[in-house]
Formats: sequence, structure tokens, C-alpha cells
Amino acid sequence: MGKSQAVKYAYIVARVRGMKGKLIPKEMYPKFLNMDIPEITRFIGESEYKKDVDELGKKYKGTDLFEHALNQNLALTYRKLIEVSQDEANYIITEYLRYWDIWNIKTILRGKFSGASDDDILEDVVSAGQLRYRDLLEIIKIGTIEGVIAALSKTPYYPALSGYKGVLADIENNLDKMYYGSLIKAGESSQDQFFLKFLRTEIDLKNLKILFRMKRAGMEREEIIKLLIPGGIEFNETQLGKLASLPFPEFVRALEEFSYWKVIADISGELTSLINIETRLDKYGLLNITRISYYYPLSILPVLDYIVSKKMEVDNLRIIVRGKETKLPEEIIKAHLVM
Amino acid sequence: MVDPSVLDPSMVAANAKGMIAIGAGIAVGLCGIGAGMGEQAIGAAAVGAMAEDEKFFGKGLLMTVIPESIAIFGLVVALILLFVF
Repeated sequence: MGKSQAVKYAYIVARVRGMKGKLIPKEMYPKFLNMDIPEITRFIGESEYKKDVDELGKKYKGTDLFEHALNQNLALTYRKLIEVSQDEANYIITEYLRYWDIWNIKTILRGKFSGASDDDILEDVVSAGQLRYRDLLEIIKIGTIEGVIAALSKTPYYPALSGYKGVLADIENNLDKMYYGSLIKAGESSQDQFFLKFLRTEIDLKNLKILFRMKRAGMEREEIIKLLIPGGIEFNETQLGKLASLPFPEFVRALEEFSYWKVIADISGELTSLINIETRLDKYGLLNITRISYYYPLSILPVLDYIVSKKMEVDNLRIIVRGKETKLPEEIIKAHLVM
Repeated sequence: MVDPSVLDPSMVAANAKGMIAIGAGIAVGLCGIGAGMGEQAIGAAAVGAMAEDEKFFGKGLLMTVIPESIAIFGLVVALILLFVF
């Protein structure tokens, strides 16, 4: 007798619900804003991050310790999800977490391009994908971009990297398109409609952010189209092409036709900074996955909800600590938080 | 011509008893399968929750045995069949 949908997801969903209960509650973030960095580090050191803070405490200090502990915890948490899941859930989680491989490759290439030190690059590496930390350490030691690309020749990401001709943006676009393309294929092959719906919404939100940034920067239509990722739920390629060709004010007005308008409608008049828009879109993405994960509790959605929520937690903590370190006003830090 | 053994009252009573026993067996068996199907998802979820938090053991155990009531219903029906009829 084959396993039913409920049985397939019961174990992993119960586990991620348990793990989600251990995330820092959103009421804590305003309190963090009133704390100093040592206080926040102490709080974090007594929470779920204790093991990581203790382990890395000998090697790093201050905000570096914080950064490394967050990254290590994020990587281990995601790796745990891969280890405790089975069959279809395992396949989807593994494919989805390849995001961090793409992230690491981009981080290393950008670091090498800008001449950053190995330690600085390592600070932003999160080994939550299929590339192991030890392999990433070796790759970081390579001095040139070409060398890094050659070291990745046996990975599935090589086809996106092999066309490097001195422009990093091109291979970064290739990587993004390859990642989302293979995710859509994974969703279609597993016939998981919930996953596909979530993924297509994520692609829409990503495209929307790209459009806002590029339109603000006054980029040409052709340049913008190259960056957009096909496969969204509301924005098809024709609509993306149309939006990319409009000037900024008309582009904002054209968004009224789409469901995402309600997310940004009240701040559409004050677009001096895109921070608010991006935070709103991130928040919408988080609320959307949390909401639909309650509609379909025995599916992959609660797992994806946890993955997104955990990333937001780490991002929020990093924003607070980095913001406090650079003495940014509280309002600006608050504007960046997704909660 | 009718086979005289079919109309033998002792044979008829034995057949009826056999049918009741089969009925009781089916009641317990099907209820057991039903309870098992209900328990598999709950059991998996309970183990998952316990892996994250040991305090869930009591609640998890309780949740897991709730579908067991179906098996008890089957047992009751079987006992009624066996001892009332």
C-alpha cells in the first residue's frame, strides 16, 4: 500500500512545527532595538544559537562572532532538514536549498572580483546547500575568478559559469535563471502543485524587486529583460516586457492591475527609497507562505514556511546588530526588519 | 430430494455459530486495519514532535492511541456477536 500525502509529510511537518516554535518571537525584535550589542549577543548565546556561539567563541569576537554563529546555525538547521526528510520532501528541500550554493558561488566570485580577503568572504558563506563547507574553504583559497570557476567544473552549476567573459552580472543572472528553472522542473516532476504555486509567487516577487531597482536606476528595457526570471504566477513574459518598457511612474501605476498592488499601494506615493517596498514584498512573501501552510498543513508548505521564517530571523538579527554597530538610527533599522 | 443433513437442527446451529464467528473476526480485523491506518500518520507526527521536544511524549502517546477506539468498537461488536446472539 502506497503512503498517503498525510503520512508522507506528517513526520517532517511535526518536526518543523516544533522547530518553528523555537524561533525568536517577533515581539522580541523591538526589544533588541533597545539593547546594546553585548546584550543581544548574550541573549543569542543563551538561545538556540548557544552551541554555535560557544563553538565559535574561541575563534571570533564581537559582531564577527555573531555573524559566523548565525551563518553556522542557519547552515546546520537547513542541513538538518535535508537529513530528517525523506522521499519527495527531501527532493524538494534539497533542490530549494541549492539557493545557498548559488549564494555561496556569487559571494566567492564577488569577493574575488572586489579583492576581498578570504576571511571576509568566509564571513558571508552559508554552507546549507550541496557544496560542503570544507570544499568551499578550498575554493575560497583560490586566487582568481577563473580558478574558482574551474574548481566548480564538476558541479551542476558549471554550465551557468562557463561563459564568464569578465562581467559578473551575466553569470549571476545565469545562475539565478538556472536555479529557478531547475526548481520549476523539480516541482513539475514531483507534481507538487503547492510547491509550484509558492515558487511562482516567489519568482514574481523577485522579478518585482528587480523591476523596481532597475527602473529606479533608469536601465533600458533590454537590459532589464535579461535579468528577469521566467515562470512567475502573475507576471508572464509579455507582461514583464511591457512593465520593463514603461517609465518609472507609469510602471508603478501599471502594477495596479496585479494582486501585489495591495501590498505596496499605501506607500506607492513615497518612493524616494526602495527599502520600504522591498521590506513589504519580503513580508508579503513570508505572510503568504505562512498563510497557505495553514491551509495545507500536510504538504511541503510548512517546511518551506520554516525555511523562509528561519532566513528572515537570521536576516533580522544581522540587520539589528550591523545597524547598531554602525550607529544607524532606530527607525532606519526598524524599516529594514521583516516581521 | 433434499439432503437430510441440511435440515439437521444441530448442523444448522453449528453453521449459524460459524457465521457469527466469521462476522466477529471481520469486525475486529477491519477495525484493526482502520485504526492502524489512522495511527500511521499520527504516530509519525508524534515521533517528529517528540524528536524536537521530549515533553511531547505524553501528548504524543495520547494522540497516537485515539484511533485505537475504533479497534475497541470492533472488539465490542465482536463480543456482542459472540455472546448475545
